[in-house]
Amino acid sequence: MKRIPAIFIILFVVPACLYAQADTGELNSLKEEIRLLKTQFEEMKSGYEDKIKQLESKVEEISQGQSETQIKVTQVASGPQSAAGRYLQYFNPDISVIGDFVYHGTDKKTDEIYNRFSMREVEFAFSAAVDPYAKADIFLSVEPEESAVDLEEGYLTFLNLPIKGLQGKLGKFKSNFGKVNRLHRHQLPWADEPNMLTNFFGSEGMSEPGISASYLIPNPWDKYMELTFEVFNNRNSESFAGSSGRDMVYLTHLKNFFDINEESTLELGMSFATGPNDDRHGKNRTNIEGIDLTYKWRPLKEGIYKSLTFQNEAFFSQKDNVIAEEGAGPKQIDSLGLYSSLQYQFAKRWSVFGRYDYSEFPNFASRSDNAYSAGLTFAQSEYVFWRLQFKHTDRNYEKDSSEVWLQCNFGLGPHRKHEY
Amino acid sequence: MRKLLFSLIIALSLTKFLYAQDRIRILTTTPDLKSIAEFVGKDKVDADSLGKGYQDPHTIEAKPSFMLKAKNADLFIRVGLELELGYEELIIDGSRNPKIRFGQLGHLDVSRGVYLLEIPAIKIDRSMGDIHPLGNPHYWLDPLNAKIIATNIAKRLSEISPENESYFQGNLAEFNHKIDQKMIEWKAKLAPFNGHSIAVYHRSWPYFAERFGIGIACELEPKPGIPPSPGHLKEVIDIIKSKNIKIILMEVFYDEKPARFVSQQTGVKVVIVPNSVGGTKEARDYFSLIDTITDGLVEATQK
Repeated sequence: MKRIPAIFIILFVVPACLYAQADTGELNSLKEEIRLLKTQFEEMKSGYEDKIKQLESKVEEISQGQSETQIKVTQVASGPQSAAGRYLQYFNPDISVIGDFVYHGTDKKTDEIYNRFSMREVEFAFSAAVDPYAKADIFLSVEPEESAVDLEEGYLTFLNLPIKGLQGKLGKFKSNFGKVNRLHRHQLPWADEPNMLTNFFGSEGMSEPGISASYLIPNPWDKYMELTFEVFNNRNSESFAGSSGRDMVYLTHLKNFFDINEESTLELGMSFATGPNDDRHGKNRTNIEGIDLTYKWRPLKEGIYKSLTFQNEAFFSQKDNVIAEEGAGPKQIDSLGLYSSLQYQFAKRWSVFGRYDYSEFPNFASRSDNAYSAGLTFAQSEYVFWRLQFKHTDRNYEKDSSEVWLQCNFGLGPHRKHEY
Repeated sequence: MRKLLFSLIIALSLTKFLYAQDRIRILTTTPDLKSIAEFVGKDKVDADSLGKGYQDPHTIEAKPSFMLKAKNADLFIRVGLELELGYEELIIDGSRNPKIRFGQLGHLDVSRGVYLLEIPAIKIDRSMGDIHPLGNPHYWLDPLNAKIIATNIAKRLSEISPENESYFQGNLAEFNHKIDQKMIEWKAKLAPFNGHSIAVYHRSWPYFAERFGIGIACELEPKPGIPPSPGHLKEVIDIIKSKNIKIILMEVFYDEKPARFVSQQTGVKVVIVPNSVGGTKEARDYFSLIDTITDGLVEATQK
């Protein structure tokens, strides 16, 4: 009989204790849950209060200045497709205006801008999507010195062609030959163009009406390889036929891009252009090859304060000499042009640069020049920069010269897109 | 034996292929969106980010290698509010990927529906510095906005892959629940700051500060994006002294010198914390990012 209390204890007391224990555990978890719910409720409440405040301010805004446009604006801005948020001028293209002011001093008295100020250029840029298939970019350049408005570029880009990776372009555009030929003046890291560009393609570079197709070549290394093919009018007067040109110039460009690591990159480009250089169909031809190599370094963490660019380009031209038929000069002129430039940014707004130029001329067998440039750039903000540059040019065909530029370049309008 | 090995290799490469094909390839502009997308998509997505957490998000560049990443993406996710204006269009155009163009299913702006601050009420211009006309874009630093970001991502992933809708919704619920739980912890830790003000370097912090009841007394930048000038730092010093400010909160990628200078003059503590996932080793994902910021503030008051 003594066993009965023991059994009783085992049967009733132990479970009761266990139950009580479970009870407090459950209670704790319930408490925890209530606490959680409470805070969640608080969060929701504050969230809703914020939303109500927002709505209230919106209602006030609308009732204060109730115009149709404003109401439309609020509706559109909350849509998912407000691509770049330009909500006040919805279908207007993005418009930017860039002014370029320089003081140019030189000891060469025949220079176009001899020791004076000049508003070298004002560029108007318009860009927008045209329809779901294409976008357009127009660049007008006003050069007060020449009191002329010039179409610098104006082209339509087809973004969605049936072949994956293929893009097309038509219009007047800067030829995809090397790197510097494609840049607008305000994108240059110097106050002037490298000598080889002026000597080979003229002061405006090579830019003719034509068509272009580019393709991203799939490759096993998963690297960026872009092949471009262009056909354009044979109107470049330095290297090709000039205003009397018939036929076309054909150009190919291969751009390779490598990430060395997350801070530094290497770009290697190869270009080739060919076309007749007289008013006939190819008896006298010009072939130009180009190679460009650019190394860029920008540490991600200190990227606002430090960066370096080492940029090199060379052109090789083989031009049949038109006047050789008349017994003047060699049958073919081979010429070489190159530059090498180093830019180093050492503070948020400051950078220095140096450039070496060597260039022969595609039209003159024995002419060449060497130039040494150095300068300093101060970026007042993202939209205004100042630049001071010195340049000394040695020429074997006329007097050497020294030049100085003080440049101030300013941009209005949306953020500038920075091509890498 | 050789036959077996051969078929094994074939099978392995095939599964790898199928495995890779299954996942939705996501490319985000910032690592915070990548982290949130991974919480929502888990093993149904492969996420990558263009920017790094220790990089100023305004300075991401349109590298051609990024265009290649965008070429292979099924879904491009951005912060919006013009934060990506300097490079986004170049990358999308350069990618030649029609799936991720504006307005397509593969292009998602997660700012839709988030709680926004600093929407300019007047016509703005560049004299005010780098102001974003649609509002301050650093909204991911408010944990409740992270829930909205996650909701936007879950909705879009469900549209891309309807058969996995319940999976994404489940992950979303889990993420939201974890945010709710962590909010309790963060609020408790930051309780001593509630009602007090701090100084900051750039306007990255209003969302975080407002959520936890912290005021912002002044910024070291005279205007957004404009580096501190001696004249402005003098004003900052006066404000810090008069309002008895104890902390300058700043991002990892800005120059520390101006903040150290103010610190020497006033004794204010400089707290340098990431404002994005990956900004420091500790900030591995969205939750540890907010943990790192919270702990940084708390530790500064305990020293």
